[in-house]
Amino acid sequence: MFQNRAEALALALPAALFAAAVFLVPVVILLSDGFRSPVGGWTISAYTDFFSNTLNQTVFLRTLKLGALVTVVSAVIGYAAAFAIVNLEPGAKGRMTGLVVLPLMISPVARTYAWIVILGRTGIVNQAFQALGLTEAPLRILFSETAIFIGLLQLFLPLMIISLISALENMPKDAIPAARVLGANWFQVFWKVVLPLTKEGLVIGGTLVFTGCLTAYITPAILGGSKVLMLETLLYQQVSVSNNFVSASVIAFILIVMSFAANILLKRVATARNKMRSQP
Amino acid sequence: MKKVIFASGAVLMLATGAAQAQEKTLTISVYALAQDEYKQIIYDPFEKICGCKLVVETGNSVERIAKMEANKANPVVDMAVVSMADALAASRAGLIDKVDTSKLSNFDKLYDIAKDPNKDGMSVGYTFYATSIAYRSDKMKIESWADLLKPEYASHIAWPNVTTNQGPPALYMLGQALGKDTPDLKAAIAAVGEKKDEIVTFYEKSSQLVQLMQQEEIWAAPIGRFTWAPFTKLGMPIAWATPKEGQTGGMNVMVVTKGSKNRDLALQFMDFWLSADIQTKIGEKVIDSPANKEVKLSEAAANNLTYGEETAKSLKLIPSAVALDNRAGWVKSWNEAVGQ
Repeated sequence: MFQNRAEALALALPAALFAAAVFLVPVVILLSDGFRSPVGGWTISAYTDFFSNTLNQTVFLRTLKLGALVTVVSAVIGYAAAFAIVNLEPGAKGRMTGLVVLPLMISPVARTYAWIVILGRTGIVNQAFQALGLTEAPLRILFSETAIFIGLLQLFLPLMIISLISALENMPKDAIPAARVLGANWFQVFWKVVLPLTKEGLVIGGTLVFTGCLTAYITPAILGGSKVLMLETLLYQQVSVSNNFVSASVIAFILIVMSFAANILLKRVATARNKMRSQP
Repeated sequence: MKKVIFASGAVLMLATGAAQAQEKTLTISVYALAQDEYKQIIYDPFEKICGCKLVVETGNSVERIAKMEANKANPVVDMAVVSMADALAASRAGLIDKVDTSKLSNFDKLYDIAKDPNKDGMSVGYTFYATSIAYRSDKMKIESWADLLKPEYASHIAWPNVTTNQGPPALYMLGQALGKDTPDLKAAIAAVGEKKDEIVTFYEKSSQLVQLMQQEEIWAAPIGRFTWAPFTKLGMPIAWATPKEGQTGGMNVMVVTKGSKNRDLALQFMDFWLSADIQTKIGEKVIDSPANKEVKLSEAAANNLTYGEETAKSLKLIPSAVALDNRAGWVKSWNEAVGQ
């Protein structure tokens, strides 16, 4: 399209400069604080201090656990929902996709506050449990890992479903009937045909959901509070309360590394499956 | 030629006059709360009286003190309002001067608690608030701060996080109730830590409590009096506790910046803010409790504020030096006992 490489670079330059000025430079400055020694020079002592603290260890592992759990569960539910949607008539498909996207248009604050009403001791969930005789006294769901899990799942499930709808639509229409004709059961169809053919969608959806869970602030802050801290809520506490920018910088760096690691890991898993399949 | 000289002189005089008017600027640093009301009740009327321009900087006290520290050599702000403990921090950092109270005609009209809160002459209180317990009077009986941790109540309360303004005062009173009121608050933090799984939440924003109370998620929580009004509108039997150990609270104070070039103007502004007239207007809007004892408030406003000589005398405030010297230790102990 372009006469030479220089033309393309010249066109990309303003955007690249803008991104460097407003994103890269501030991020590098922010992250470098975590490696600066108070007596001059560079050190990783802020990181060793961070990980030697048991509260920080708990918060780190909790964030990892909840992020992974929400990603896995949203993939399972997401595949089922996406399958159902792509097999609908075009009109119904559009309406259903619209319904999936609808929660994304509502403020996360409003959505999360709704969970306080739903999950409370007098909320719908507890009323249903008691009516069904599953519990005598109302359960304590709010301000727990369960509450954060539910909130995050509801927040990010649409991203997974949309990614999988797109991937499933690009899959050859006769792949599943062909596999069935050749004698594959439904599990084999999913594992050996659908999953490899939609892995790109799963990687994109998985990365969006996992990084979303890591960086979400409002949901863990409202549904978990300071009783169930996640890395993002701990970061806020370090900045706004303790004024500890070094510790906040360490947490920010950890969050960035975790996001990249999740993306690389998901890509590796997908590639590894391809290699296994291509071996004789 | 004469005309030219005359005209030049006139222009010069006008320019000098304008420069002088421009120079008369007072820069104040305040909390970001209720600025529309402050502008209407304090800032605009004061500008008319002094014939000066008021520049208002807002933000939380951590940000504002950091800014004052950055401009220490060449101060921008002339006066600031901060918490008692932050005033002591600013004093230790050499950012503020003694307040010349002889220039404050309203000084003698203040409650004793507000006259020199840190006992160093560096600040004057302009408002204070009580911290006690809002509770469901039909479900529980609160006679002591320690009652909140009773087995039958603990799973129905919210406790302020140590990082909030209400956190340390509530722990301070719990320590008094337990008979172990050391400045490190260790006994109180340990007592809360023992009940951490039962306590519903350790709140950071008091605005959340009204909803939790309405949903019966909680029956009680230590709160500042300034957040009391919404609870009274819930239509539930919610009472304000008067525990036998007393009530605690906090105070906001006025300070003058060291090296400020507008000291007299700053003192004139402080005096204006401390006057019974202004404090009454601010009180009637249920913004700040009055520190001027001549203020007479309507019953509606008084019920929602920390008001009156008796209340002022009953407040047990954490000494600023104790707060400053122990703040980091409190957060550390809290994170070890409660945060996990």
